[in-house]
Amino acid sequence: MLFGYLDAGSGSLILQAILGGAAGILVAFKAWKARLVGKRAVDQAKAESNVDEPAVPSES
Amino acid sequence: MRQADPGSFRDPASHIVFDGERVLRLLDERGLAGWEALSKTNFFDRASAEGRLIDSRLIDDPGNDAAAALEHPRIPFVSYPYEWTFTMLKDAALLQLDLLSEALADGITIKDATPYNIQFIDGKPVFIDIGSFEEYTAGEPWIGYRQFTRQFLFPLMLRSHGGVPFQPWLRGNPEGPSAGEMRNLLGFWQRLKPSTLMHVSLQARMEERMSGTSVRNELRNAGFNAELILANVRKLRRLIDRLEWGGNQEGWIEYESCEHVGRDREAKSEFLEDALARHQPRRVVDYGANDGHFSQIAAESGATTIAVDGDEPVLDALYRRGTDAALVLSDLTNPSPSQGWAEMERPGLTERARPDLVIAYGLIHHLIYTASIPPAAVVAWLRSHSCPVVVEFVSPADEMVAKLTANKMEEELHNGRTQGEFEKIVSDHFEINATKTLGDGTRVLYDLRPNLSA
Repeated sequence: MLFGYLDAGSGSLILQAILGGAAGILVAFKAWKARLVGKRAVDQAKAESNVDEPAVPSES
Repeated sequence: MRQADPGSFRDPASHIVFDGERVLRLLDERGLAGWEALSKTNFFDRASAEGRLIDSRLIDDPGNDAAAALEHPRIPFVSYPYEWTFTMLKDAALLQLDLLSEALADGITIKDATPYNIQFIDGKPVFIDIGSFEEYTAGEPWIGYRQFTRQFLFPLMLRSHGGVPFQPWLRGNPEGPSAGEMRNLLGFWQRLKPSTLMHVSLQARMEERMSGTSVRNELRNAGFNAELILANVRKLRRLIDRLEWGGNQEGWIEYESCEHVGRDREAKSEFLEDALARHQPRRVVDYGANDGHFSQIAAESGATTIAVDGDEPVLDALYRRGTDAALVLSDLTNPSPSQGWAEMERPGLTERARPDLVIAYGLIHHLIYTASIPPAAVVAWLRSHSCPVVVEFVSPADEMVAKLTANKMEEELHNGRTQGEFEKIVSDHFEINATKTLGDGTRVLYDLRPNLSA
């Protein structure tokens, strides 16, 4: 499915798993954790690319 | 020549055009796939037969700019959620939830959740946006949840928990209050209710923390499924079903106990029936409709009738009793304006009403004495409808006028209030077809026809 024309809101999407009851809370926790891991990986990749490239381009 | 509906453009998969009197929904490939999935289900057959979904028929010639087109019946009068009463919005919310849970059982979802997709036809809420349905993909969450809370749940909570009318909020921002705004609007004790803790406070907190990140894949991989949506929808339904607002204790609900109402009702009904027979209108607007008695007479004459009143408890009671008229909650001194995108998305009340006859019984003395509208401006406004008007004049000697002016000095009132002055103003705009003096002579009915030379 394509994501709709509507902005569903990430927090609201996770919340509706919680609102689905006990099984949903586990789903929400897993999704939350996966998002944290994903975010950490992105942050780390950014940090590494910053090391490779100088913050201020040197004059040629 | 097809004309696009200026209120139907947000969903690229489906939008409405008018072809003369015909109403067509043009679908792109994605919209067509949604229709094909929907129209095969038992849910669609059942909900259509019960009148909960608007009638839809695939037509042979969609035109060059669409993959397919559906034809729908024309809706007699389109009203907006900021013109609905509490019970109307509540019934619309329950319909939205019922349709979603029934559709999901047949593998279909609804991709948005806005009351603008619902209209009241013959006094019942009907879902009109057939393009909102599409096949449910396993693992997807309910995309419309946030919109549902902002446009249905929060407005109802605002009234039920906070005692604040929701209509000005929806009129001010058609998206409805955000969870963060709603949290700020509720009092301390209201925020502690389990339902507001979850749908308001927790949603506000999570929205703030997770803004701009994608979680759909994570949810799917974590095992999200339709059962979780259904469980949420069941709880929301129970919550909304229990919301009440205590509107019976306010305003004009005791109108019927006023002495003049019973005394004059029969004479006013006969006068209106004569006017309806004389003018044969197809579309009638009853301003200040109150308990809907005269709207019902107009509706029974065969005219599409729009009952407008600014008093929510009265109009809500009329909705619950049932009426053949379309209902609009609107203060006539500040009627719904044209608004939304390009000021065309949601046309104003006057533009939508377009009557062939106006009923203004028991109205103009409230405009003149309570709202301080000059009598000449009231008559000019009636004339602006360019159609016959059946109006009740109430003289300064009337007991109701005495109540309305109890705290006003003579010099604080506009000229044009006596019957002689009123008739002079009227003669500048209208010809008088008929008059009838009621009861003790302080109230006079006029059947007016626009003076074309004015």
